[in-house]
Amino acid sequence: MRTTVRTKKRLALAAVVALASALPLVAHHAVSAEFDSGKVVTLKGVVSKVDWVNPHIFIYLDVKDENGKVTTWRLQSVPPMFMKGSGLTKEKLLDGTEATVTAYPAKDGTDAFGFVLKLAYPDGHFYNLGGGPAPAAPVPAQAPAK
Amino acid sequence: MEFRLTTHAAGIVGLGLAALMAPVNAFCQNQATNYGPPATSYAVEAARYPDAASKPTPHTADGHPDLTGVWHHFFGGLVAKVGDNSFVVNFGQSVPRSTAGGPPAPKAMPDPEPEYKAQFMAKVKKLNDNQVKEDQTLHCGPPGVPRIGPPQEIVQTSKQVVFLYADSTGNYWRAIPMDGRGLSTNPELEDSYNGDSIGRWDGDTLVVDVTRLTDDSWLADNGFFHTNKLHVVERLRRVGDTIQYQMTADDPAVLAKPWIISRTLTLQPDTLDEAARCVDNDAGHYVNSEHHDNAR
Repeated sequence: MRTTVRTKKRLALAAVVALASALPLVAHHAVSAEFDSGKVVTLKGVVSKVDWVNPHIFIYLDVKDENGKVTTWRLQSVPPMFMKGSGLTKEKLLDGTEATVTAYPAKDGTDAFGFVLKLAYPDGHFYNLGGGPAPAAPVPAQAPAK
Repeated sequence: MEFRLTTHAAGIVGLGLAALMAPVNAFCQNQATNYGPPATSYAVEAARYPDAASKPTPHTADGHPDLTGVWHHFFGGLVAKVGDNSFVVNFGQSVPRSTAGGPPAPKAMPDPEPEYKAQFMAKVKKLNDNQVKEDQTLHCGPPGVPRIGPPQEIVQTSKQVVFLYADSTGNYWRAIPMDGRGLSTNPELEDSYNGDSIGRWDGDTLVVDVTRLTDDSWLADNGFFHTNKLHVVERLRRVGDTIQYQMTADDPAVLAKPWIISRTLTLQPDTLDEAARCVDNDAGHYVNSEHHDNAR
């Protein structure tokens, strides 16, 4: 029953659930103790808050359903030290642009709680924070840097 | 393979040299298995300054080696910029890099594990099997000495040496008196995570004795518990712009023999940034006990 309700909610949130295929499970973290790497949730939303905290950064994503109701997803990400020197800052994550976001949902049934894999933006730039091989060659710029 | 043999021969002390000598293609091979905390960050730092050990060793006015400086900080380099404005994390697939997008760091020598008396091995296993619940550093608890590792920054005066740490669980300091006093006999001094430290010079080596360590902490990841009888001795010897750091943990109540680990620290030009606040958002969401890497 609970599963049905959650599934409906996710559908109402325009979330697409699919089997994970391409992205390997992140080895550093016991993601599988907390998140379901057998599923990938796809969300469309705007990052409304970023907690730059240890041991994991949390990204909050405001996802609007077709009736305009906003649900804020709490998305766990990498430790802050992983970001050091990369240039990917809290400010960049909070740029206000709607992103298509993939995430592993929580295993314990907590709604709107997941492990973020990738944020992709309409102009083509993306933040792949969930692991996986880097592109063999640098990706050509598809839009002016922000 | 040749590189692996080289690092074995050189040992931890030679990591920086190994990084210098390793051909570029050695950096690029076997990336998936190359990831090896906890010492990898040290290797990254060594790789940035391969000639550090050959620099002159500075001394303070009182004639001792000057240990002041930033010697280690938790490295990023796991998120790389691609294109003009995109970023990719490589953990699980690759290794920390000496600069964002730069070459992967060489594999670190794994630390020896502490050896326990036979009757305590089951306890270690049980703690390790339940690590996501039992390891308090996963839940923002302090790692304590010695798990916190070598000092990340050292501030040295003639009267005391201060070790500073920016850890994922919090920011810590240890003020180590150098005035010849003995270990504290204050009965009100409770056991603590960083204990009671006293320092002295043994030639050009700083020797720090640590006692009064709480048994709440572990020696390292993987359930390596200890008692409050733990006695830690740290030895730090500056060689050029490196420090040879050795830590001996002696806890005869539970350990079969003292546990010794070594690191080569490399002077870094960066400041030691305050660690971000630690917030335990994971507690209660673990549905099983799969191991969560938490090495330092």
